[in-house]
Amino acid sequence: MIPTPSGMDIALSGAAVRFGTFQAVHPTDLTIEAGEFFSILGPSGCGKTTILRLLSGFLDPSEGEVRIGGRPMAGIGPSDRPTALIFQNLALFPLMTVWENVAFGLEMRGWKTARRRARAFELLEIVALDGQGDKLPAEISGGQRQRVAIARALAVEPAVLLLDEPLSALDLKLRQHMRAELKQLQEATGITFVYITHDQGEALTMSDRVAVMNRGRIVQVGSADDVYDRPATAFVATFVGEMNHLPGRIESVAGDRARIATPGGSFLAPNPGGLAPGTEAVLFLRPERLHLLGPGEVAANGIDGHLLRRDMEGAFSTLIVETAAGRLTVQRVNSGAGGLPAGPLRLGFADSAGVILPAGETADDAA
Amino acid sequence: MTRLRRSFGAPMAALIVLLTGTWVLGLIAAPQVIMIEQSLWKMDRPAGADELSVQIDRLYNRLDMLMLDRAAARTLRTPSATEAKLAQIDAERAALAAEIADLETAERTPVKTWTLSNYAQMGQAHLRIFAKTILASLAVTAIAFAVCYPIAFAIAKLEPPRRAALIMLALVIPYAINELLRVFAWQMILNYGGPLNAALGLVGIGPVPFLESGSGVFVAMVYAYILFMVFPLYNVLETLDTNQIEAARDLGAKTWQIHRRIVLPHARPGIAVGCIMTFMLSAGSYSVPYIMTRGTAAPWFAQLVYNRFFQASDWNVGAAYAVSLLAVCTGFVFLMMRLLKVRLRDIAK
Ligand SMILES: Nc1ncnc2c1ncn2[C@@H]1O[C@H](COP(=O)(O)OP(=O)(O)O)[C@@H](O)[C@H]1O
Ligand SMILES: [Mg+2]
Repeated sequence: MIPTPSGMDIALSGAAVRFGTFQAVHPTDLTIEAGEFFSILGPSGCGKTTILRLLSGFLDPSEGEVRIGGRPMAGIGPSDRPTALIFQNLALFPLMTVWENVAFGLEMRGWKTARRRARAFELLEIVALDGQGDKLPAEISGGQRQRVAIARALAVEPAVLLLDEPLSALDLKLRQHMRAELKQLQEATGITFVYITHDQGEALTMSDRVAVMNRGRIVQVGSADDVYDRPATAFVATFVGEMNHLPGRIESVAGDRARIATPGGSFLAPNPGGLAPGTEAVLFLRPERLHLLGPGEVAANGIDGHLLRRDMEGAFSTLIVETAAGRLTVQRVNSGAGGLPAGPLRLGFADSAGVILPAGETADDAA
Repeated sequence: MTRLRRSFGAPMAALIVLLTGTWVLGLIAAPQVIMIEQSLWKMDRPAGADELSVQIDRLYNRLDMLMLDRAAARTLRTPSATEAKLAQIDAERAALAAEIADLETAERTPVKTWTLSNYAQMGQAHLRIFAKTILASLAVTAIAFAVCYPIAFAIAKLEPPRRAALIMLALVIPYAINELLRVFAWQMILNYGGPLNAALGLVGIGPVPFLESGSGVFVAMVYAYILFMVFPLYNVLETLDTNQIEAARDLGAKTWQIHRRIVLPHARPGIAVGCIMTFMLSAGSYSVPYIMTRGTAAPWFAQLVYNRFFQASDWNVGAAYAVSLLAVCTGFVFLMMRLLKVRLRDIAK
């Protein structure tokens, strides 16, 4: 029996947070739909937790407003908001048993012991922890503790569940498993999930929409496809997934495409920002959009290079190719044909494959 | 032992064992054992002392008679007869004196008897002081806890770490001054002519006999031992993950519920250590009540113990008093540990 409150929508209007003179979150407008799985993705220290604390009520915005379910949240503390927070370190209560942890919110609401114990065990069953209720948090595994934290948050039947990098302490296998479980739970409950992570894999696989954040600003909001294939800035392009950079200058513009001159030649690519000829810009190109051109084969764009290295990674292999425009990474699906001889080769890519963006801060700069 | 030898080598291991042994025997066991031993015996007048004393009196009478005989002998007619009589009397006198000396030594040499009677020596008045001391120490402990808990919590959890360290330092500074001087300072503050009564006088409240009423002892004692409460509390509260407090609040806990369910349970070992130290120091305090009352208010138990030892010169009863106090303090330690469900291991941490 999964609790079924409907999720609530969230709206930030001009909400900003300053710590002294340090602007942790710049004025932000953001709408999160009711029942949405919404991720905030960004490097460590960019202000993700700060936004979550704004939603959970531990922080008041220095300016602007937070609304949850249409209700302004000013003056409403964490205990009175329809939100529940799952902490980065889980913050389970170590001196209470697992079921007491889960029932804590109900205890605070004055439920009698027998009733809240029964409810706690129901919730533990939902998160596949039957039989663990009487143990202490220290006596169960990391993955199980994770589920206890989830059950404890669900117990208070929140309309919005706020998750602060909840999987970061788990190992890879468990993390991938928990991703699927979280997504399932979200769909089953209809609760609005706001999920914070610095792991783009998590954000892309689970979310209905992703907000990419950098230095206290949300730089792009969109579906996983949007942020991966249509990045709005150099930062998003490089933070989400692998990316080749080819710096150059816009030569000519034709419709929504532009031709960019780089040391490796001039290439035709989408120009979503409508950059004018003469502008310094960068062509961003995914490794999997580059392919090898056979003899006599032609593509919209071609570039000559020299194979330096091939890393076999199983399902695909990674080629490192030296070109006049710099070192490029190419990903090739493993067709079973085996390796390539080192030496000269020619790469090609479609005129819809890359994206031309103004030069700007990239994830590598930020790191 | 084998583990010690393996990790430190034989000479180091021997040294460690020796030092630990010296510590346990010399610093922990020996004083207690000696105190308990002292309290279990007393020096008694020997058995039959009364008969002896009668006998000695009788011998003294004989001696007096001999002296009369001797005086009479001087008037005998022949000098030779006189000589002979005198010599006889003197010999008898010497024998008598020797016998008296023997008997007197026997009467005076006390015998050591093992007894529990030292513990029964506490009269009504002293028993009342004992009870009062214990109750007052409990009250001092309770007040110190009530004062220190909010302070320690505020410093540990609400202040940024750097400021917290500074505040703790500021709290310690007064304790660099000798305890006696600190207590004297309070004595002056609370005195009839002191600044507190002067201030009260300004608002028309007549001089309050803080010292004479015994309340001064209370104030000074809380002040003198507060550090022993604040530090264990601060240390243990500092280790509490702030996220736990926030998680509780997020789940709907009110401030008092957070303290009851999260903070206090976490602080149990610190509370136990703080209460035990404050209680022991208060219950055994000599100088604070001595200075604060200067004899104008009823004494604390430690003063009674002191008096037994050095004024009544009765070390055995003094030791019995001291052991009684020790027993109550030990009982308090175990009671606190039971109440707070703290094990020795937690306290050691
Ligand atoms: N209470 C605070 N006082 C001052 N600075 C803070 C405070 N909380 C966070 N910050 C700063 O705000 C920035 C964003 O922090 P945070 O939101 O925790 O980042 P993250 O994206 O890693 O969760 C960081 O530079 C952090 O140092
Ligand atoms: Mg964070």
